[in-house]
Amino acid sequence: MMQSVGIYIHIPYCRTICPYCDFVRRGIPGEVPEVFIEALCREITAFEGPDRAESVFFGGGTPSLLAPSALRVVMEALRQRFQINSPEITLEANPDDVTPELADTWQDLGVNRMSLGVQSFDDDTLRYLGRRHDDAVARRACEVVRERFANWSMDLIFGAPPVESWVDTLETCRRFNPLHVSAYGLTYEDRTPFARRKDESVDDETYLRLFWQTEEVLSEFVHYEVSNLARPGYACRHNLIYWQNLEYAGFGPAAYSFLDGVRSRNLVNTDAYLRNPGAKAEALRLSDEEIRVETVIQHLRLRDGLFLEDYAQRFGRSVYADFSAETAELVERGLVEEHVGALRPTRRGFEMNNEIGLALVHPQRVSAAKR
Amino acid sequence: MSAPNERIRTFCIIAHVDHGKSTLADRILQVTGAVEERKLREQTLDTMDIERERGITIKAVAVRLHYRAENGGDYVLNLIDTPGHVDFSYEVSRSLAACEGALLLVDAAQGVEAQTLANAYKAIDQDLEIIPVINKIDLPSADVESARRQIHDLVGLNAQEAILASAKEGIGTQTILEAIIRRIPPPKGDREAPLRALIFDAVYDSYRGVIVYVRIVDGRVTKGMKVLMMFNGLRYEVDEVGVFSPEITATDILEAGEVGYVICNIKTLRSTKVGDTITDALKPAAEPLPGYEEVQPVVFCGMYPAVANDYEELRNALEKLQLNDASFQYQADKSDALGLGFRLGFLGLLHMEIIQERLEREFDLTLVTTVPNVAYQIRLKSGERLTIENASKMPPSNLIEEVAEPYIEAEIICPTEYMSGVIELCKKKRGVHVRVDYIDSKRCLAIYQMPLAEIVLDFYDRLKSCTRGYGSLEYRLIGYRPGELVKLDILLNGEAVDALSSIVHRDRAEWVGRTLASKLRTLIPRQQYEIAIQAAIGNRILVRETIKALRKNVTAKCYGGDITRKRKLLEKQKEGKKRMKQIGAVEVPQEAFMALLRVNDGAER
Ligand SMILES: Nc1nc2c(ncn2[C@@H]2O[C@H](COP(=O)(O)OP(=O)(O)OP(=O)(O)O)[C@@H](O)[C@H]2O)c(=O)[nH]1
Ligand code: SF4
Ligand SMILES: [Mg+2]
Repeated sequence: MMQSVGIYIHIPYCRTICPYCDFVRRGIPGEVPEVFIEALCREITAFEGPDRAESVFFGGGTPSLLAPSALRVVMEALRQRFQINSPEITLEANPDDVTPELADTWQDLGVNRMSLGVQSFDDDTLRYLGRRHDDAVARRACEVVRERFANWSMDLIFGAPPVESWVDTLETCRRFNPLHVSAYGLTYEDRTPFARRKDESVDDETYLRLFWQTEEVLSEFVHYEVSNLARPGYACRHNLIYWQNLEYAGFGPAAYSFLDGVRSRNLVNTDAYLRNPGAKAEALRLSDEEIRVETVIQHLRLRDGLFLEDYAQRFGRSVYADFSAETAELVERGLVEEHVGALRPTRRGFEMNNEIGLALVHPQRVSAAKR
Repeated sequence: MSAPNERIRTFCIIAHVDHGKSTLADRILQVTGAVEERKLREQTLDTMDIERERGITIKAVAVRLHYRAENGGDYVLNLIDTPGHVDFSYEVSRSLAACEGALLLVDAAQGVEAQTLANAYKAIDQDLEIIPVINKIDLPSADVESARRQIHDLVGLNAQEAILASAKEGIGTQTILEAIIRRIPPPKGDREAPLRALIFDAVYDSYRGVIVYVRIVDGRVTKGMKVLMMFNGLRYEVDEVGVFSPEITATDILEAGEVGYVICNIKTLRSTKVGDTITDALKPAAEPLPGYEEVQPVVFCGMYPAVANDYEELRNALEKLQLNDASFQYQADKSDALGLGFRLGFLGLLHMEIIQERLEREFDLTLVTTVPNVAYQIRLKSGERLTIENASKMPPSNLIEEVAEPYIEAEIICPTEYMSGVIELCKKKRGVHVRVDYIDSKRCLAIYQMPLAEIVLDFYDRLKSCTRGYGSLEYRLIGYRPGELVKLDILLNGEAVDALSSIVHRDRAEWVGRTLASKLRTLIPRQQYEIAIQAAIGNRILVRETIKALRKNVTAKCYGGDITRKRKLLEKQKEGKKRMKQIGAVEVPQEAFMALLRVNDGAER
């Protein structure tokens, strides 16, 4: 029997482009074009690999731009190709796309988890971020989603001016009471219009204050990953696949897959993708060692960290055999601690998470050949 | 069979940097058919990667050519292309000693420059026949008449006989070849006398061991012959002899007058000495050849393996490289901050850069290099004298009576309109004015005496920039002079770091200390803990800078594809860290050790 995987579907279209965003997407005025849906279905149907899936995640771009008929066709194609048992099916939505009717259809089509791109409940902040919606629209969308979906998540961004709006946003979020919250520190990414505004970014102290404020206000939540919080038992199953470095299949332009030790990426340019869905822009076979390194690094983004037993079972050796010096250094620097059979990040380990990765990688060992 | 003496001509091409030596060599290779047309590229003889990237010659290269002269005779020509940069003048001296003649190239647009003079005088000292060639006559800015005048007035050669050429366009090549045949004397050596071969260069080949490059002065050498190195008394049997055509090509015999190579079973690198004489072990010559003057390094720096385990490898690499470049020196050294390493001496800053680069490339090492300095002579109150090549070795100031530093006399040639800028620069560099001569209506020659330390740091770059690239510099050491010199220490978290110490003039110490500390603040990356940087003279702290602790380093989003991308990014970052040295709890990047060189970048005072 084949492994089961997580499925990611990338919808590369947005109504408008947010100036801080570095996702692969383009602006379109109307609905997601038919040709795209066709290409996507072709890719899904032709997929060679595992037959079972445990999660589906519609991300983007803006999946809420999918017409109900389009979503139906894609879901159809997925069910044809994969056996999807008690799945988590998430759809990302922008607040201004959400209507009661649309939300009903999503539910009818099998979506059982919503991820709502609220970002903030403060109008000034939303304007700074260049979002389409305002506070009122965000609240209305939350209402609609909350009434229909037991399991829903809210995406929020901190660190955008006015910086102090963050507490209010968190309080409002708490009142809407989603089961899951993603709280991202605003990053002024290169190759975005925000790259030139790096000097507007908050200083490290402020960033960290806001970062920790999140779990203080959302006190009933578990801060289970650097940027994610959930009510107990409601961590995002799909995203956990990434953090546990398990297998997933990505469909749509620029989507990544990790199957059978190969990390691959679809053609990035949407037009190129439309001509040749499923063709790879890159495919890298990872060495066992690279997989081990990535596995440890990814787990150490999680509050619970890496269970020593899990590692031993998966790789047939102990973490300490592979990373003795590295883990000792990280413990010594107070970034990682051992806690009831697991290696997990400390609070400093969250704040300085990249330092953990830096300690664990081995640059001198030659990486795997391109396929 | 070898050609008879009268059919051999051995010459080198000398000039100021960039006047076209290697390009002229290309034309000669082409005309004599030594290199297949398709293998010919620009500056064919510049084979090292560094040479091709930088567009300069670093190593002198010998080639053997065949030429049928207009008189119908077949000749063997041994050509040696030499470097022009001042730091490699030792290569020129060694090459000249193996030749009977020299082509002196002068760029028709630039005229005679500092190294034109220096190299020409070297050739004159060795009694070589010099053929002046005015090159680059194709350039619109070429001024043949003024070049001619300068050759006559400055170098003192008969400029009427100068050959006009364009190495680029192949003009004059034939005339040059004919002049070589007509004017350069054949070698005088006696083939029946006991063997005397001058080792003028050597390389280490990982397959064949040491290959020594020789000029046979007397006698002959063949395969199987027993030879003796006269300087160190070691005996070998010859495995192979041959010539450069331009690849090494085995022949039966090398005879007096010829230039070629000898491979004996030389196992230890230390047993070969450039400048030594090879003779017949069974019938040794009475006297060795004069050999070479030992060169005195003028600039010193420390080199340490970035990874402590590479120490032995570095030692090995230095040994091999020194064979190929006898002009740098090294000795084992230990730094508290950087661990085991070496102290190296060089002929100049470019020389130092090149050696570091060659060590890293050819031997796959990662090195941490400390800022270059000159040697100081110190007289203690006890009357004891010592010379230090390393600032950290300076005794405490209360024991010191006097510190003296090396001075040079610099000859600077530049167009008249830039002269005031040059004088300004020399003054700033503590220069003592000797005189300024007018070469002709357009150019001047300024002579200044100044501390070598000032030249070492950034003088050359500054001269180039204040003369728009037209200034050229030649200098020679003239001895030590006492000065108000103090040791400037840098402390990281309260601990003095020996590798960051320097010796500076008292008047500038405070300014240098401040600038250096603030430079270091920008060069040392933020780390998990706060770092204090202090500059101090003795116990007096001049300035304190702090690098705030790194509080946060986290990527907000990390999903599917980000994983491998992130790992690669981290790997790259870590690769960069390999060049960092752990000093106490602080990771210090290589650039920090060179920060002193950049202190002068900003505005002064
Ligand atoms: N126009 C023109 N350019 C030339 C001529 N000869 C050489 N050059 C150019 O001058 C530059 C320097 O030439 P090289 O042959 O490398 O000079 P070099 O004297 O060997 O330089 P070093 O070995 O570094 O001292 C190159 O860009 C050549 O193309 C010439 O006759 N005419
Ligand atoms: S943030 Fe979301 S809506 Fe905005 S451009 Fe990026 S993908 Fe599109
Ligand atoms: Mg050259």
